[in-house]
Amino acid sequence: MTNASEVLSSIQSAFPGAVLDSRVESDRRLWATIDSKKILDVCKHLTNKLNFDHYSGSAGVDWIARNEMEVVEIMASHGAHKVVAMLKVKTPRENPSVKSLANLYWNANWYEREIWEMFGINFEGHPGLYPLLLSDQLIGSWPWRKDFKGYPDLTTGERAVAITTPEGYTEYRFPPTPAEVEAGAVVAERPKYPTFREREEREIKSDSEMIMHLGPQHAMVPGPFLLDVLVEGERVKKGFLDVGYIHKGIEKIMENRTWLQGIVYTDRMCYVASLSNNECYCGAVEKILGLEVPERAQYIRVILEELSRIQSHLIGTGEFLTLVAGVGYAPWQYMIIDRERIISLIESVTGARLTHTFVRFGGVRNDLPDDFAEKCKSTLPYIKSRINEFIELFAQDAIYQKRMENVGVLSAEDAKRVGIAGPALRASGVAYDMRVEDPILVYPDLDFKVIVGTKGDCADRVDCRLREILESIYIIEQCLDRIPAGPIKPEAKIPKKVPAGEAYYRVEDPRGEMGMYVISDGGDKPYRVKVRGPFYATLQTLPPLLEGVYIADVVAIAGSMDGCPSEADR
Amino acid sequence: MGISDVIPVPVAIDDEIEKWTIFGQPVAEVWFTTTEKIHQIIEMGPIKNIFNWGRKNSVYFLMQPMGCCGVEMFVFGAAPYDSDRFGCIPRNTPRQTDVMIMSGYITRKYLPVFKNLWEEMPEPKWCIAIGECAISGGPFYDSYNIIQNTADYFPIDVFIPGCPPRPEQFLEGLINLQEKIKQRKDKRDY
Ligand code: SF4
Repeated sequence: MTNASEVLSSIQSAFPGAVLDSRVESDRRLWATIDSKKILDVCKHLTNKLNFDHYSGSAGVDWIARNEMEVVEIMASHGAHKVVAMLKVKTPRENPSVKSLANLYWNANWYEREIWEMFGINFEGHPGLYPLLLSDQLIGSWPWRKDFKGYPDLTTGERAVAITTPEGYTEYRFPPTPAEVEAGAVVAERPKYPTFREREEREIKSDSEMIMHLGPQHAMVPGPFLLDVLVEGERVKKGFLDVGYIHKGIEKIMENRTWLQGIVYTDRMCYVASLSNNECYCGAVEKILGLEVPERAQYIRVILEELSRIQSHLIGTGEFLTLVAGVGYAPWQYMIIDRERIISLIESVTGARLTHTFVRFGGVRNDLPDDFAEKCKSTLPYIKSRINEFIELFAQDAIYQKRMENVGVLSAEDAKRVGIAGPALRASGVAYDMRVEDPILVYPDLDFKVIVGTKGDCADRVDCRLREILESIYIIEQCLDRIPAGPIKPEAKIPKKVPAGEAYYRVEDPRGEMGMYVISDGGDKPYRVKVRGPFYATLQTLPPLLEGVYIADVVAIAGSMDGCPSEADR
Repeated sequence: MGISDVIPVPVAIDDEIEKWTIFGQPVAEVWFTTTEKIHQIIEMGPIKNIFNWGRKNSVYFLMQPMGCCGVEMFVFGAAPYDSDRFGCIPRNTPRQTDVMIMSGYITRKYLPVFKNLWEEMPEPKWCIAIGECAISGGPFYDSYNIIQNTADYFPIDVFIPGCPPRPEQFLEGLINLQEKIKQRKDKRDY
């Protein structure tokens, strides 16, 4: 099996002098700084020779003190080996520009657009460098750079001032001072780009084609995002996606909060899976700190994360059923009723329904209540019987099968190429689960199957999700049997300042692979937090999936992905 | 217009009727009159409460999840908390709704859309701000992309604090709103 040092030596022998700096953190993590001229060749080499077929995302970092910017490409493999390579490319801070990987990896497109609009790093050879998350008024101010002036500065107490807009509304803004404008710190004239509307209207080729808007507010969407389809008759010719309607800038906000306060924001990234987001952030920080989590705390985390997976899958399936069944809300109500039981289980431990802030560095906030095991033992069999019923119902219902079979088919090959994650990927037959790939906590000791589908159509995706609930219930039952007594927090006090370092930590979110890249500069706040969310990747694959389907299938396909736009937008 | 102008009636009864009054108005004017007049009379008497009663018990809200609070809004509208008991049903289009539930953060990109949705709703309409985000920006108060002063853009009737508020709090807010509708104390006159 390939490990990180082998990968490194392979790159070094193929491209002498290309690796400027490297660190082998463990068998599974490789950190390397690559010469910016060679990055394309190195990536090609990794993909063709070393089975790195999963482009997992990229992150931008602004090193203002060193006067340079960095783009970190995250490369992994779909099961061939377990190495994650973090390849850094450096570029000067003036006119930053690096080579684009978008022609090599299809899904690099969105990641690079995001880095461009947030940091102003240009990508040479990118097919369409347009704004993605930000609204037009913010383009050109590069909000994630360290010297961005838009934030209220908490240390100096500088606050926004009220400005009356031409329409008579009051808005709070940070006006650039004349000195700033003169010094060029603020872009006086915003660069002009064709808007989303203009771009999609360019695609209309004949009179028989028109554009249909679904969203941003639509019964279909689980949160605001805009899905436009170009239709000719009943057929969709092309899909367009516009996201960023609930872009909150969490990654930037976390840079302005202490390490502990950051946990609160991970809750609000994907609010139906807050526990796995907590886990992801805390795990990364623990890695930098070198903290060991006590065994009991590990079990508690696993139990709660699996419970959270169950409730997330229930709400996801319910949403899907509302979309395809349409008639009233009956199937949705069934799912919500069952979900409430799980929520009350979680609430009995964490004290909150959605935003728990429960996982802490090196442990958990509090222990399980005394009657928790009993409550679980009465609730879980009920949920199990319900899920079995649902699975049977779907399998037997001829109308449902006719409606969903071979709709939105994603072959294993395509699914890997587009970088989709989670149940949607596994439904295509690729057994790619972070709990196995990058095992954390006590998952290696537990017995569970990775659920895979066969065809990769809508019915498969929903079926996968439902069967995963059964698997989660099995995991929880094992945990409850084995959970040892003991402490739930590390004995030593957690330091306020985290030593300088960086870590990339992956967990299996209900929606798939979630990774967090955390950098510390030794201060009491993170230097940079990059979230690689699963739904971001899934959302990107939606437009090509919609090509050639009927309009009625658009909602079915979009619904079967189990969306959470909040986590995509962050 | 006198009653005798419309139908000829025996003089004796005519005299009698002209003396009768309803809400301080001569009955004759009430019975044979224009729509405008009817509206005026409704405004004066206790019958106006019927409208408020109807409005109060059919406050449909717009299914429009924007943030974490949006998930609680789902649950609030579904079986476990059953907002239906109070005549509050989720609808998917703004054209059929009376209440806008502002369920989370409003970003710069979403604000124009949100204004559009609000304008599309027919009068009379109400707005509930749910969660810290919708009230003041909440945990994202210093974000470059979040609108903190939502109350400057929308006439908010009820604020429900919490992050997120529990569905029970949603119910309480709803009942407060119904009370408000009943009292006719909201900002718009209709
Ligand atoms: S108030 Fe809290 S729970 Fe509600 S949308 Fe804002 S962050 Fe989420």
